[in-house]
Amino acid sequence: MAELTFTPVIGIEIHIRLKSDSKLFCSCSTDTDAPANTNICPICMGLPGTLPHLNHRVVEQGMLAGFAMNCGIRPKSLFFRKSYFYPDLPKGHQISQCDLPITTAGYIEVHDANGNLKKIRVHHMHLEEDVGSLHHSASDGRLEGADTSYVDYNRSGTPLAEIVSEPDVSSSAEAVEYVTTLRRRVIYSGASDVELEKGMMRFDANVSMKCSDGRWGHKVEVKNMNSFKALERAIEYEIVRQKKIMMQGGDVIQETRHWNDAKGITSSSRVKENYRKFIVEPDLPPLYISQEWIDRVAARMPEMPDVRANRYVNDWNVPREVADVLTDDKNLAEYFEACVKAGANPVRSANWVRTEVLRVLNERGQKISDFTVKPETLAGIVSRVDDGKLSTTQGKEVFDWICANGSGIDEAVKALGITEGGVAGNALADIVASVIAANPDVLEEIKSGKDKKGKKLKFLQGLVMKESKGQAKPQEVAEAIAEAVK
Amino acid sequence: MELYELNLWMLMEGLKAGNFSASEIFTSCKKRIDQCEDSIHALITRTDDTVPSHSDGMLAGIPTIIKDNLCTKGIRTTAASRILGNWKPPYDATAWVRLRDSGAVLMGKANMDEFAMGNTCGNSAFGPTRNPNDTSLVPGGSSGGSAAAVSAGYVPFSLGSDTGGSIRQPASFCGVYGLKPTYGMVSRYGLISYGSSLDQIGPFARTVQDLQLVMSIISGHDPMDSSSFRDKAHDFSHNENVSIKGKKIAVVKEFEGFTLDAPIADAMKRVKKILEDEGAIITEVSLPVVSKYAVACYYALAMSEAHTNLERYDGVRLGYTVKDARGIKEMFERVRSYGFGAEVKARIIAGTCLTEPARCEEYYVAATKVRTLIAQEFARAFGETDYILQPVTPSMPGKVGETDDDAMKGYEADLYTLPVNLAGLPGLSFFTGYAGNVPVGLQLIGPRWSDAGILDAGIILERHLGSPRIANGGVK
Amino acid sequence: MNLTSEEVNEIALESRLLLNEEELAGAVRYINNFLDALQCFKELDLKDVEPFSFAEAIECPLREDKVIPFPDTETILHESEHVDGSYFKVPRIMEE
Repeated sequence: MAELTFTPVIGIEIHIRLKSDSKLFCSCSTDTDAPANTNICPICMGLPGTLPHLNHRVVEQGMLAGFAMNCGIRPKSLFFRKSYFYPDLPKGHQISQCDLPITTAGYIEVHDANGNLKKIRVHHMHLEEDVGSLHHSASDGRLEGADTSYVDYNRSGTPLAEIVSEPDVSSSAEAVEYVTTLRRRVIYSGASDVELEKGMMRFDANVSMKCSDGRWGHKVEVKNMNSFKALERAIEYEIVRQKKIMMQGGDVIQETRHWNDAKGITSSSRVKENYRKFIVEPDLPPLYISQEWIDRVAARMPEMPDVRANRYVNDWNVPREVADVLTDDKNLAEYFEACVKAGANPVRSANWVRTEVLRVLNERGQKISDFTVKPETLAGIVSRVDDGKLSTTQGKEVFDWICANGSGIDEAVKALGITEGGVAGNALADIVASVIAANPDVLEEIKSGKDKKGKKLKFLQGLVMKESKGQAKPQEVAEAIAEAVK
Repeated sequence: MELYELNLWMLMEGLKAGNFSASEIFTSCKKRIDQCEDSIHALITRTDDTVPSHSDGMLAGIPTIIKDNLCTKGIRTTAASRILGNWKPPYDATAWVRLRDSGAVLMGKANMDEFAMGNTCGNSAFGPTRNPNDTSLVPGGSSGGSAAAVSAGYVPFSLGSDTGGSIRQPASFCGVYGLKPTYGMVSRYGLISYGSSLDQIGPFARTVQDLQLVMSIISGHDPMDSSSFRDKAHDFSHNENVSIKGKKIAVVKEFEGFTLDAPIADAMKRVKKILEDEGAIITEVSLPVVSKYAVACYYALAMSEAHTNLERYDGVRLGYTVKDARGIKEMFERVRSYGFGAEVKARIIAGTCLTEPARCEEYYVAATKVRTLIAQEFARAFGETDYILQPVTPSMPGKVGETDDDAMKGYEADLYTLPVNLAGLPGLSFFTGYAGNVPVGLQLIGPRWSDAGILDAGIILERHLGSPRIANGGVK
Repeated sequence: MNLTSEEVNEIALESRLLLNEEELAGAVRYINNFLDALQCFKELDLKDVEPFSFAEAIECPLREDKVIPFPDTETILHESEHVDGSYFKVPRIMEE
């Protein structure tokens, strides 16, 4: 009997908080960190007699987010009432575009198990309001076992985009790449900052398993994942769980399960979720979006990260891996491009940003937007190293000094006591290369380990010093040769 | 003659001329309320305990009453339901803000059917209101308190709301004028919703001219209500020299065969004659879908919307609640089961039932399509006629406390009023005279935004038919 | 197709309403009468009819994204009997 194989079939629903100053349907601040229940008003508290009033900017943010996932914009969309009772939902229904959303279908590209590009289709993205937040009295802060819960409505009515994928995802790795890429693109679009630590991105996954014997298990909806890691673990847990059931000839029950991050398991949700068919929100006329408006917002769309990375690779020969790192953060990519614009060599600028700049940011726990060294300054350092005015080591010293003291390159050079103009950096590297090329037998001896006392190295150093007319520093020469014969 | 007997425009002129003061009006109206309220019970909350300070504006010093589903900041607002408890809204309804800013003085919040569901004013958690013309009769509903208050002379005008006839029917039963404006004419912000796509706030008064005055104040765009219309300025100014000469006024062919109580049928004849004498052309329009399907369509939609509008009453944030529930579900169930009255519960369950995934397409979605047909049918009819004349109800007001076991039969009585809400049209309920002590009203409806036009026609009718008198108010 | 009292009760519970026997009997009668009355829709050809949304073409008005804090948040909290500190305190959400 052939061994059974299983293919996971996964669809992902993502909620992303869109960036705006005021809430979706009222003028309260979207600052959810404010003291509990201070950013509330009759509208987002669902008080009797109040009516929603749609935020113009959120519509545009929705359009930008839609563009970021290659969706089209629908000329007419509608709001609906999605009913369920829960204490964090003030009106007992959520106003959502679920049935006639602002966008049409789109896609996000990920790599499959063989490294090939694959499209995860986005069914649609729609706008809706968020609910309040609950804090539970149980010692672990979780819902289970809590005797009482505390509701803070600051989050009630803040704007969300819900993104529903087709069941095109086949592994937890694809799932993570899908949400990572999607997040990056949405941040690029300006629609949201998607700060993960603030819960601005939440996931639900529909997981089912297709067996090679033709069986297809029921769909299980897994809820309550608030991080990439949780999404990955929850999907992996479900794949294993469902596979086991099906291997034993059992039936996977169609149900909603909750991810328990602390325990690392999913468990059957005892709450029966019985959504009613949505009725049209009678308090909001249809949202019409003209082509002219679509064009105006589309013109604001920046170049997407993958397109940008391709440009770095194709136009500037930046290595793919470096290009991906630089474009991960839009501001970092812009910093890098500013260096290039200031005249620095793209490949070497890319390396400097990737290693030196990120190192300093990491050490300081800063974002690139907080970084004090101007891209023009970095470009100056890179160019001087390139021209041989500074050695690589000196360049780094200058960079660190400017990071710490915040002045210009000339001040740094003076303060560090560096004499510029010696043969260093790439100029020195060129001399080393030509000397070695002219003495292949010496190189052979060194590489084979016969040069135990380092006499041959000294010989090469002498040739390089001679070639540089005494302008190179002995220690740098030694370093450069050591590097070259490795 | 007591001051409370004066109409709105008379009070305004008298104040301007210095014939009497605002505090004299206040005192007179308050006395009248004291005199009748025990018999009529038109009010849920009285707010006339202190003489108001001096105010400015068009309605400076004019007493008014508004239906208790209009939110008033710091003043208990109940929608006649137990579930709202002693809720004091932290904000004001726009329509009330406009009256208050014009200087109007609030005397009280009017009784109504709970959440505006009903046509007798008997479905109130605070007990029924009685008809001031004959206290054994219902005042109509749901805005029964607002109509009764104006009829009995509590105030010269009041506000109500009309979802399927809730202004026009009690206006007719109590013998006052009532206008259900075009949907979108008056902001609904602060009106506790019943059927949001049908609800509209409108005035009651004892003359048509008074309705014009109130409409000029409460109508107009409000950014807080996304269904309120921009770019629709309306002239409600009063003009004695209006004419309906050459205007086409139609009766509905399909309604002709329906039985009407004799006083109502007589009134139809009389009014047609008056209109003809004034040079109007009496014609006929056909509304086959309206006459046959409007009632079912209306209740399907009203209940579908209502059950979602009432989901917010869970005891967490306001109103009646329980403190000892062991779980949230138990809390919600106990709050809602005790808080809502029987009719409201029935409509919630019906609305939930209709929007269940299994039935939604068959009932809710079908009803939204029937509504499209009804709106189209009216649009076509108003291509053939200027206005439509029809009864408000087929029957004269019933006795207080009488109920019908089959609710749908009671709903059939709304056939003449609720199509107007389905199509978002304006409808004027006007006084035609008395059958004994009981007033008889009829209805004039027009195309969307013809509110000023039907009021002008109402001026002419009032001239011929006479204005209503102040009802006895149950005074022995 | 008449609804049974079990079905009606189920719907009532979904609406968070507990009905006593008498109320349930009334609700069953009410709903079944009502559903009967709605059967008339079947006489109409609604296939190509657009669902009604608003009485005339009206666009959803849009609000500028500007924060205007509500001045009386305290009075909102004041209306609830469940306020504990600055939170709304509610009983156990997960039920057996």
